[in-house]
Amino acid sequence: MGSPCELVCEAPRRADALELTTLVAAEAWRIEDKLSRYLDGNIVSRVNSAAGRPIDVDEETADLLEFAVSLYEFSGHRFDITSGVLRRVWRFDGSDQVPSRQSVADILSLVGWHRVEWCRPVLRMPHGMEIDLGGIGKEYAVDRCVNLLREQGGSPCIVNFGGDLAATGPATRRRRWRVAIEGEADAPDRIIELKQGALSTSGDAQRFLSKDGVRYSHILDPTTGWPVPDAPGSVTVAADTCVQAGMMSTLAMLEGARAENFLRAQDVVFWCRR
Amino acid sequence: MSRDENRSISAALAAATFTLLGSAVPVPVDAQEESAWEFNTSLLYYGEGDDRVKDYSVSAIARRMFVDDRYLTLGLTVDGLTGATPSGAIRQDVPQTFTRPSGNGAYTIPAGELPLDDTFKDTRAAFTAGWQQPVGETSLINVGVSASREYDYTHLGVNAKVARDFNRRNTTLSAGIAFSMDSLDPVGGSPTPLTPMLDVGDTSNRRGDEDKDVLDVVVGITQVVSRNLVVQANYSYSNSDGYLTDPYKVLSLVDGTTGDTLPRTLTPGVEGPSHQYLFESRPDDRTKHSVYGQAKYYMNGRVLDVSYRYMSDDWEIDSHTIDLRYRVPFGAERYLEPHVRFYTQTEAEFYMLSIPDSEPLPGFASNDYRLGDFDAITLGVKYGWKTRNDNEMSLRVEGYRQTGSVPGNQIIGNQATRDNYPDLDAIIVQFGYRF
Repeated sequence: MGSPCELVCEAPRRADALELTTLVAAEAWRIEDKLSRYLDGNIVSRVNSAAGRPIDVDEETADLLEFAVSLYEFSGHRFDITSGVLRRVWRFDGSDQVPSRQSVADILSLVGWHRVEWCRPVLRMPHGMEIDLGGIGKEYAVDRCVNLLREQGGSPCIVNFGGDLAATGPATRRRRWRVAIEGEADAPDRIIELKQGALSTSGDAQRFLSKDGVRYSHILDPTTGWPVPDAPGSVTVAADTCVQAGMMSTLAMLEGARAENFLRAQDVVFWCRR
Repeated sequence: MSRDENRSISAALAAATFTLLGSAVPVPVDAQEESAWEFNTSLLYYGEGDDRVKDYSVSAIARRMFVDDRYLTLGLTVDGLTGATPSGAIRQDVPQTFTRPSGNGAYTIPAGELPLDDTFKDTRAAFTAGWQQPVGETSLINVGVSASREYDYTHLGVNAKVARDFNRRNTTLSAGIAFSMDSLDPVGGSPTPLTPMLDVGDTSNRRGDEDKDVLDVVVGITQVVSRNLVVQANYSYSNSDGYLTDPYKVLSLVDGTTGDTLPRTLTPGVEGPSHQYLFESRPDDRTKHSVYGQAKYYMNGRVLDVSYRYMSDDWEIDSHTIDLRYRVPFGAERYLEPHVRFYTQTEAEFYMLSIPDSEPLPGFASNDYRLGDFDAITLGVKYGWKTRNDNEMSLRVEGYRQTGSVPGNQIIGNQATRDNYPDLDAIIVQFGYRF
């Protein structure tokens, strides 16, 4: 998942806490093993190395793809799981190595869900295109783990995978979980009292490029291949599930300067930092 | 995107998520930014029986959290005192007239009644400020100031405390120190100790203002003994230096055989005391040592809190306090907490009921009932509940009964027929609101 994953729970005994942690860790690793684009042999790598051939995907992957399609449609094509290849020309390391217009235009020919043939359960992409479920995977894993924990009943827990988190229920002390959203540099942490639900934060932190006085955040618009201008420094959204919170915060970042207006119009609980 | 398109994204996302996760109805999210401020307010009424002291007080404590577990605490309390308190003179079978402490008038107590001085209606404001922050991984420091003001008394103080955790935070050692400088400007000026109460307008035995310094030092240890039990022990040392006498309290000068208060010859046309009274006198130094132990035991949601304190000072006052509280929760929202406290103390070395004229004047003398030999019991109950916003409210009602006695060898002649120690009943009602 590329980030520290933790389970915080109020369990009566150490043995109970260990049992719940083992359950969550197993599910997290299962999803990571399945969806990571860094592992050979899993469904994602088979799809990405298919070189134009059709691939049969399993039920869970099919569900995730259908979800991605819905998001692609109602985000006006701004959310696109085929946009991962843009990282071949964009490296956000704080330097001034901004790619040329031509190289971006070239890579853009390999981006776009409209180029993909998807008829459940068969997926076929043109050679050179890739899918990247990193934008959904972590939040999905959090919600899956929360559901598993809820089935176990009992102890209130928070599943926190690198800042994408959700509570299985209210904490017993003061009935609120306290979550700190890190402030950058001199800005103090923001403390959120979470009684129940999920939080997800999208932000640019150290991932940006800076050239000629222009700051390029790492939020790339798949329709143009270029960073979304004036994206907020960070957006935190609270929603019923981590998937909803994560997608909302991502969609907000893609709105750039209009992020706050977008979130307000959605009637969503959010905190923005510019 | 138009507003309609926008709104449909939320709904579309919810529907798509429901399909993906295939879970039961999700619990609606409840999240808000934490307020940096926490407030603890209370209204308190304290009322003694027999027209004695009544106190109304309002207090508010505000605490603000800063990054990295630092806290600023500000407190303000305003007290209004009314009523009367025993002046130290004893009952007589005849009426007694006293000069008011201000020296501007006189008041008369009917025969057989306990002399009460009602001239100290007063309002006091007290302010505290404190700063707490962690030092390293396992230590905490606290520093603070305090100040209070009423018409005849000003207090200024500073305090500091350090605490350090050991044993994976199961043990905490702490040490604290407080220093205060108080000054007293009694109405009419502070009277020279053991001189007589004079006629109205006669201030020849009055001095100016007085002051005192107090130093307190505490060292303690808190230990987590098990999942259910936390214990604490501490030792404190306190030293007061300066004017420790109560400038408004007197003792009756009595006949060495009959025990009756000696009458006084009044000058015609001049108001003044009907009998002879001497202003009290206490030493200018007082050192106290006390040890304290407390245990909090948790059993299935209920908490039993027991503590004991032993205090001994160089005025020969020894005291024991036992305090028990038992908190019983009802559901997640309410609790009931009965409380009982026992207190007993022995009298100060210079405590005496009256001053007999047959003996030389003592070095120090006071008939302040608070320095006497007495037992006290407090019985009360506190009820707490959570409001809709998850804030806490509480109501506490307590009854206090204090009964004392005067050592047999201090009772002279006719005094034996009278009720000499002013027993006390009081009721306390306090409403608290924390948000």
